Amino acid sequence: MSFKIEIGAVNSGAGSSENSYQLVIAGGGPAALSAAIYAARYGIKHLVVESWQPGGQAALTAEIENYPGFSSVAGSDLTNAMKQQATAAGAVFVMETVESAEEKNGKILIKTDLGQYTSDYLIIATGAAPATLGVPGEEKYYGRGVSFCATCDAPFFKGKKAIVVGGGDSAVKEALHLTHVVSELGLVHRRDKLRAEPYLAKKLVEHEKVTTWWNSHLVEVTGDDQGVTGVILDTPEGRKHIETNGVFLYVGTVPATEPFKSLVDLDGKKAVVTRNIVGTSNPRVFAAGDVTNNGFRQVVTAVSEGARASAAIFELLENEE
Amino acid sequence: MRLIPGSTIPQETKGTDKLTLVDFSADWCAPCKMLHPVLDKLTTELNDRVNFMTVDIDRDPATANQFGIRGVPTMIIFHGGKEVDRMVGFRDKASLKRDLEALAVGTLG
Repeated sequence: MSFKIEIGAVNSGAGSSENSYQLVIAGGGPAALSAAIYAARYGIKHLVVESWQPGGQAALTAEIENYPGFSSVAGSDLTNAMKQQATAAGAVFVMETVESAEEKNGKILIKTDLGQYTSDYLIIATGAAPATLGVPGEEKYYGRGVSFCATCDAPFFKGKKAIVVGGGDSAVKEALHLTHVVSELGLVHRRDKLRAEPYLAKKLVEHEKVTTWWNSHLVEVTGDDQGVTGVILDTPEGRKHIETNGVFLYVGTVPATEPFKSLVDLDGKKAVVTRNIVGTSNPRVFAAGDVTNNGFRQVVTAVSEGARASAAIFELLENEE
Repeated sequence: MRLIPGSTIPQETKGTDKLTLVDFSADWCAPCKMLHPVLDKLTTELNDRVNFMTVDIDRDPATANQFGIRGVPTMIIFHGGKEVDRMVGFRDKASLKRDLEALAVGTLG
């Protein structure tokens, strides 16, 4: 029996059977939620299959300061508001995991852990998961000092030392969040300048608690029975052992495309290759947000792409009638 | 899913033939909130093999420290009072259920 959380009114589009839709949206982050809002408002018979993880990566961001309309908003508050808006518009959600998707008889067949659905169109908005470094100690101490979510785990490091590895927007935002609680913060970046927004980068680098390790690489996480005690860095001055209690990793993401790899073209980093922003190599499949190779991974671009994808599908459905 | 004081973990986990999953959680933790409906559902589906309970780390910081919790959510699975597995971070229902079922087969036979 399928576990369905059906929030909001069941919409009334075309389709002959219970599990047949005009559009299935895979994902639960801003791109999927935006696509759901537009699909519901267009009256497209749709289903949102959300799994890992509700609200997506954005829900784990402490503060978002570049989403128009909000000087500062907690990521979870923003995505909760999007979900409420989608629900009020009539979006239909199920909490299931997409395991595979393929073309069958001119439709897209989507198999989940709990059921299967056929759809005229599919929007892949499954986002991306944090990438790992694959260095010794990283997996062993995950949850014992190694973290991919400062928003979740910062309180454990109150008055303690921590390091952040990475140089993009996520690394810098989460590092700034950590400065509120830790006693000292090391920033380890493989280049000699940050890729993040200059405003945020300057604020971080000039922070009194922050020490920077430029052109440096994390090569090992060390620890004991209680958890992380330090890291070993490769720096321009040679190998150094740094004492720290926490290691926060923001070294990129891996797009969640495994179930869709036979359906659309992926690039070398497993991201969906897009055409005209939200189109893919498959005319029945669209993609939006961090799962794509569009490059600029922001909430504001994800919601834009989600809206564009639903609008494009609405137009296609209109022309098919 | 029952909220328990951390001090009762020994008797909760020893006094049963089933596995016991203790979810270390916090009000301010977004993935913890995402995980709760998953655990509530599994409480019903795995009722014959796994007991589910939760500890609020803000109410029980000493217990969190005792178990070396440095990230939430952390789920520790016990059998006979001993830790047999530990999972960190949000898990979707399908993969968590699969792992718990495998653990139950390996541990309970």
